[in-house]
Amino acid sequence: MMRRSMKQGTSLILAAILALGLLAACSKSEESKPSAQPSASSQSPSATASGETAPNPDAAAWQLDTSPVDLTWFVGASWYGRTWGDSLNSKYITEKTGVNVKIEVPSGDANEQATLMMTSGKLPDLISMGSWETAVKKLWEGDHVYALNELAEQYDPYFFKVAGDGTLKWYRQENGNTYGVPNDSYSPNLMHETGMTAANQTFLVRKDLYEEMGRPDLTTREGFLNALQLLKDQYSQYKGQPMSPFFAQGNVPYGMTEYLQNLLAVPYEKDGKVYDRFTDPDYVAWLKTFRTAYERGLINVDFLVDSDTQVEEKTNNARYFMMIREWTGMTAVNPMLAASANPESYYIAVDGPQNSNGDSAKLFPGNMDGWMVTMISKSTKHPERAIRFLTYLASEEGQRDLFLGKEGETWETKDGKPQLKPDMAQLLETDIEKLEKEYGIMDTYWMMRNPVIVNQWRPEKAPVIKQMEDFANAQADIDSGIYKNLDPLGDSEVAVSWSRISQNWEETLPELITAKDEAAFDKIFESYLTRRDNYGFDQVMAYRQAELDARKAKMSE
Amino acid sequence: MSQHRSGQMKAFFRQWQVQSMVIPGIVWMFVFCYIPMFWLIIAFMDYSIAKPMLQSPLVGLKHFEDFAADDRFWRSIRNTLGMSAIKLALGFPIPILFALLLNEIRSLRFKRAVQTISYLPHFIAWTIFGGILLNWLGEGGVMNQLMMALGIQDREILYNSDPQYFWWIVYFSDVLKETGWSAIIYIAAIAGIDPALYEAAELDGANRWQRMWHITIQCIRPTIAILFILAVSGMLGSNFEQIFMLKNNMNMRMAESLDLYIYNMGLVSGRHSFSTAVLFARSVVALGLLLLANYTSKKLSGESIF
Repeated sequence: MMRRSMKQGTSLILAAILALGLLAACSKSEESKPSAQPSASSQSPSATASGETAPNPDAAAWQLDTSPVDLTWFVGASWYGRTWGDSLNSKYITEKTGVNVKIEVPSGDANEQATLMMTSGKLPDLISMGSWETAVKKLWEGDHVYALNELAEQYDPYFFKVAGDGTLKWYRQENGNTYGVPNDSYSPNLMHETGMTAANQTFLVRKDLYEEMGRPDLTTREGFLNALQLLKDQYSQYKGQPMSPFFAQGNVPYGMTEYLQNLLAVPYEKDGKVYDRFTDPDYVAWLKTFRTAYERGLINVDFLVDSDTQVEEKTNNARYFMMIREWTGMTAVNPMLAASANPESYYIAVDGPQNSNGDSAKLFPGNMDGWMVTMISKSTKHPERAIRFLTYLASEEGQRDLFLGKEGETWETKDGKPQLKPDMAQLLETDIEKLEKEYGIMDTYWMMRNPVIVNQWRPEKAPVIKQMEDFANAQADIDSGIYKNLDPLGDSEVAVSWSRISQNWEETLPELITAKDEAAFDKIFESYLTRRDNYGFDQVMAYRQAELDARKAKMSE
Repeated sequence: MSQHRSGQMKAFFRQWQVQSMVIPGIVWMFVFCYIPMFWLIIAFMDYSIAKPMLQSPLVGLKHFEDFAADDRFWRSIRNTLGMSAIKLALGFPIPILFALLLNEIRSLRFKRAVQTISYLPHFIAWTIFGGILLNWLGEGGVMNQLMMALGIQDREILYNSDPQYFWWIVYFSDVLKETGWSAIIYIAAIAGIDPALYEAAELDGANRWQRMWHITIQCIRPTIAILFILAVSGMLGSNFEQIFMLKNNMNMRMAESLDLYIYNMGLVSGRHSFSTAVLFARSVVALGLLLLANYTSKKLSGESIF
């Protein structure tokens, strides 16, 4: 007990020291701010007539008024460390639009801070919060923020053009109003158009081994086992260490469940009814294949027990043969492996396990919810400037300004396409901190980032990364975003049922894979299904169905 | 009596600089141990994080009934008691033995060196120590190499994937990390023994074993008793960081201690009231254990905390 409290005491002191250090660092950077309030906007008075003309739905309205105005912007992420007014780009945008932003971040939990602000009744002009945060709902229901559609009709109908119809509908509430615009949101239509889907699920193999083995077929269960056998017989060692034949990211609940089910193209619904993906015959058959592989000593259970560090070590040494793994997690390793002594030992995306029909994988794309939603609070004194500023930021012009910066300084047009200047591209690879602090371009101000627009301006990725990305894009099931996160969350009864079921599954799956024979497998699986029913699986399915129906109704509006 | 007390008060005020050093500790304890006790009331509510604290509906003993009906709760009790029993029976004497042995070393320099090295692991955070340990226990780790070199096993074993090893991994890693640190308090107690006792015993012809048994152990008995009472009352607790680092889906069956269960229910599943109820029940039982151990110790050895 004494030891315990002493430990806690020490850590407390350390935490305090750390916090002080951070504070010191913060205040320091604040002090060193080169008084950057641009005395601008006087430069472009010609653009506006002060008289409010009727709003034009085909042109951005921010040009009507570019007199200086201050807007506070709450960004609900305590780690967000960027300021407005220091970087080249923020100065440029302030100069252009007259809007000077003051960024505020929560000192602790964003949700708590927002709740606190609501009780005090003093809200910043603009608010960006994680779309899943409970405070967002409270802001909407408590009438703390403007309905964006109403503001837009009044001051800047151009908003409807740039905000994207799908997104507006997605966040439309029952009263017909939309209170927030999301960033990083992917609507199916745009994904169809651009082919960029934000899908990141891939099945990866080590290129040199895969090719030496004669590109074995990994899509069928027999092929899968044969390839593993071949690996065991001929390539069980690499650089004096044992190879790990298989890895699944995120362990049981992700890699071996939802992710594997996506590879097998297990449907989410059948004939309008949500489908129980766990009992899908193809999925169960593949789990049995993994059991067989384990029984024959072709795979180990290291992928179920390894810590992150162990996984990282094995990855960096190219000791995995195949991986159920998101390509986004390989962007650092793959170029490193390609530049190593064995330049062919990097990973490529190939067709992995498939269902018995041989359907190609159906991977999750990005979804409509996006990351954060941005709102305009009713405390603001300048609702018209706020909505115009948001419209500007959401428009292609604003996206380009925010992402690329000022033409000629940070980017130029090459072959009719905007492109980062070479020194900026260099900085992006070597010193992102400097790029964001001094220039404020790329992903510095992501609050309104629309990936479908900005991704086209990202510098070309290295071929070893692009291969994986393209593969994932090709297999993305663009319309499946609607199925994401259908499960009940929180502490309601049905959510408790679901968390008991899924936590029990995490323990059951390892037992299935290490079961001594097929009969034992069946028995363990049966008993899991019984437990699942006892925990209230029926309610979970009912919840999913209701949730799905509600989403569909929203989409079809 | 009253004279004695006023003498104590005088002594207390004379040492005010020294005494005041305890104030931060008291404040800390008040803020982190006493104030939170009030919020145990959410164990009897359906507390929702979205609502103000005291506006949640009262539900009586619902959460207590719920966890009593959960087989996973009883499994976590079994695991906690199992791991604590091993620690208590096989782990508790080790620092005492270590301190006694250290005390017999003649070379002061060697003694200091051993002592310092032995308590260093204590200062490594579990997150790091656990990571090192996992590597040792992994396929290519020291443990497998050693066992294979000795011919005890012929192929690699993933020690951390087999539930039956888990309690022992917890026990050995705890001994490895904490023995030196836990021994400090005994070493301090031994250092406080009057050397005249040893000299007298030596003159009477007592050998080293007799001196150790009749003098050293008898003199540190109160320390042992107090630490034992505390250890017993802590039986329903476990080293959360340690288990959190070492657990995985495969050994969860034997690894989920009560602490981990509370964490999984409260923070992972968001059942705040439920986990508070479990915590509450645990604290009550821990208090009972403390009183029991204290009473027993008082009867048997005359040593007690209060």
